[in-house]
Amino acid sequence: MIEFRHVSKSYGPHTHILDDVSFTVTAGEFVFIAGPSGAGKSTLLKLIAGLEPCSRGSICVNGQQLDQITARARPYLRRAVGTILQDTHLLYDRSALDNVMLPLAVAGQPNSLAQSRARAALQKVGLAGKEQANPISLSGGEQQRLAIARAIVNRPALLIADEPTANLDRDTARKVMSVLRDFNQVGVTTLVATHDEDLMAQYAQRVFVIEPGRFRDFPVPSSS
Amino acid sequence: MKQLLEHHRYALAVTWRRLIEQPFSFITNVAVIALALALPLIGASVLVSVQPLTQHVSANPALTVFMKPEASLKQAQAVEQSIRDQADPIVLDVALVSKDTAFKTLQSNDAWRQALDVLPENPLPHAISVTLVADEAMASNADVLANQWQQLDGVQFVQLDGVWVRRIEALMRIGNIGLALVTFIIALVVLAAVFNTVRMQALSLREEIAVARLVGATEGFVRRPFLYQGSLTCAVAVLIAIGLANLALMPLNEAIGSLSRTYDTLFALHLPDSLSLMFYVLAAIGLGAFSARWSVTRHTRY
Repeated sequence: MIEFRHVSKSYGPHTHILDDVSFTVTAGEFVFIAGPSGAGKSTLLKLIAGLEPCSRGSICVNGQQLDQITARARPYLRRAVGTILQDTHLLYDRSALDNVMLPLAVAGQPNSLAQSRARAALQKVGLAGKEQANPISLSGGEQQRLAIARAIVNRPALLIADEPTANLDRDTARKVMSVLRDFNQVGVTTLVATHDEDLMAQYAQRVFVIEPGRFRDFPVPSSS
Repeated sequence: MKQLLEHHRYALAVTWRRLIEQPFSFITNVAVIALALALPLIGASVLVSVQPLTQHVSANPALTVFMKPEASLKQAQAVEQSIRDQADPIVLDVALVSKDTAFKTLQSNDAWRQALDVLPENPLPHAISVTLVADEAMASNADVLANQWQQLDGVQFVQLDGVWVRRIEALMRIGNIGLALVTFIIALVVLAAVFNTVRMQALSLREEIAVARLVGATEGFVRRPFLYQGSLTCAVAVLIAIGLANLALMPLNEAIGSLSRTYDTLFALHLPDSLSLMFYVLAAIGLGAFSARWSVTRHTRY
């Protein structure tokens, strides 16, 4: 599903974020990416989503070599990857339903089909009845679940989430993680960047730890 | 194909939503562009209305050399020969019209016959008609020739015919060039207006564009609503411009009508033909789309 081979990422000549990272994630895995702030967790996820190019090495996602993919084909790769960023990036000038319908509109789905699939996605994340609500009127946890609904509505094979539980209380964070776990259990490969060790202990099958200048791969959850 | 149609439907819906959200901005833009587009249209109306006037009148410039009433046919023939011998390069043709021929020609006209019948004798002089080559310097050269021939023996006076037509044509050429320049400047104004509007909107929608790209939107998907917006703005503006130009011609035509009636003729300014107007509408829409595409590509660069 995802294969990193000797991947490095630098911003300019002096800022090295990732250095010679190699790993493979197979379909259906649930992987946490842990590490201190600024270690490169978000960068790793952006590389997987094709939002940024790597400086060295090669990345293969869903059978596609990202360094060989054309700029024209890149959007189609993004449609196959559900992305949830730390800042939910919701559109506050439209309803929750419209937010979830956006990826379907991008994929050229007919309006009626898009509506029914968006409603189903909202139901899956526990937001049934909130279709017409403006995202700004939703709580932090609900907004995060709305972002998850938008990420999964196109039925991606891969879901990546960058600090989805940051700024959420423990109960809400568990609910959000539970939603992600549910999607993983139906076969969606899931990568979650977090520094919440309790959540990792509860949900992780595998953890990547990124520290400045070091990348470690733990097949079992690490708990302290 | 179905997907593409769905994308266009979505882009139209987004365009409509954005216009509804900022109606004042849309209306002011349309008003500015419509006023700008109306100017070349009024100019073109004047030119296309005046053009038939010059086309209906012979544009061949000519000099007519009128002999003195007492001059004989021999004197007239001598003047004719003298003009031929001069072999000036701008002289195209020389023809002598005797006073008898001229009189008979006039008599064949019913309106003139009765008046001529009461005259005791033929009052017309012999005349030599000289057709000139039509070129840019013809008017000044004709003046020189007229002065020369005025000095010939038996010549009463020399009249320049058709020069005014050439002058109007020259003025119209200037008018056409002026109109082309004005149209070019107006096109730049429209380009700048649409470019700036789309720039402002693209900047204010940066978040929406980023989200769309995040979920897999192609550049075409991002640009399409802006292209529709630019085209729609210009389409509405150009239709209003045609209406404005038509309105502006009404008071002008009233004044021109009063003047032309004193010359026993009917003359009125009118808009260019419908094919030209259709081209103008399409050109304005194309300009709007081009400007919007340029702006959105420049200001939403990934």
